[in-house]
Amino acid sequence: MVDYLWNTQSPLQKALVPGRHGAAGAHAGVTLNEVRDIVLVQVMARRGKAAETGKAAKKLFGVEAPATPKAVIGKTATLIWSGPDQFTVIAPRTDEASQLAAMAQVFAGSASLSDQSDGRCLIRVSGPRGRDAIAKFSSLDLHDLAFPVGAAANTSVDHTAVNLWREANGADGHPVYNMLVFTSFSDSLWHTIVDSSLEYGVEAASARAA
Amino acid sequence: MRIACPFCGERENGEFTYLGDASPKRPNFAVDSGESPGGVEDAFYDYVYLRDNVAGYMREYWYHGGGCRSWLIAERNTVTHEFRSVTAAPGVGAAKPVQAGE
Repeated sequence: MVDYLWNTQSPLQKALVPGRHGAAGAHAGVTLNEVRDIVLVQVMARRGKAAETGKAAKKLFGVEAPATPKAVIGKTATLIWSGPDQFTVIAPRTDEASQLAAMAQVFAGSASLSDQSDGRCLIRVSGPRGRDAIAKFSSLDLHDLAFPVGAAANTSVDHTAVNLWREANGADGHPVYNMLVFTSFSDSLWHTIVDSSLEYGVEAASARAA
Repeated sequence: MRIACPFCGERENGEFTYLGDASPKRPNFAVDSGESPGGVEDAFYDYVYLRDNVAGYMREYWYHGGGCRSWLIAERNTVTHEFRSVTAAPGVGAAKPVQAGE
């Protein structure tokens, strides 16, 4: 019997080429980051237990679970609406087993949990032209009035399900968008984003979640 | 065409899948209650195959598969494609106040 070695690697191992691409210039118009080392858990309230699930979330994270398409920042994690009576918990990976155990304990009886930590890839788009790049492949209205900081959406990009949410503006004052996509589609989405960003100049990198 | 999902807001129709008329109800017969087999068959034939071809407002099932993955009931004018209302189908998001009556 052959022994297999399983190496954990990013789904963007091949697609992500760190550095500057596309248009030259003093500043890249778009900054692209793959955010690695995340813990991601899908929380689905059981039938009739949405209120209890909300209370459990408040107990663990100190914030109400989002009941509308929003991303709310809690004590140790961000809670992103992902459907009626559902939300996704995302946190930097510290000690995964104990992070999951804490959630399993507090949501016992009220919600079903599904660990998606290695099932999704998180791509962060920022920079002065980040929104223009996204506008080329998304049908969402990302204007400040329609999609302010904290807004979230489940949407489709090239027939691929994407959870998109906006976090606080970057240090440069420009919007920052997070896109969560199935790992098997991340390669394709990454290329779509890079291609859309080339005319603005794009700086690509990967970073640990913080 | 844009459809206003009661959960997600207005989205392009590519995110939705159309199922069809929301009005047919599955016949409910008690076992061995003396219904004639022919009557049962007729009722199921009607439920499975026969549809009205409405020119005007129609209640339809739509599925927001490209978004919140909820089943919705929409009132759509089949002549003008105007959507008069879009509400959650029964059973979707138990906590939601806006539910289409069934």
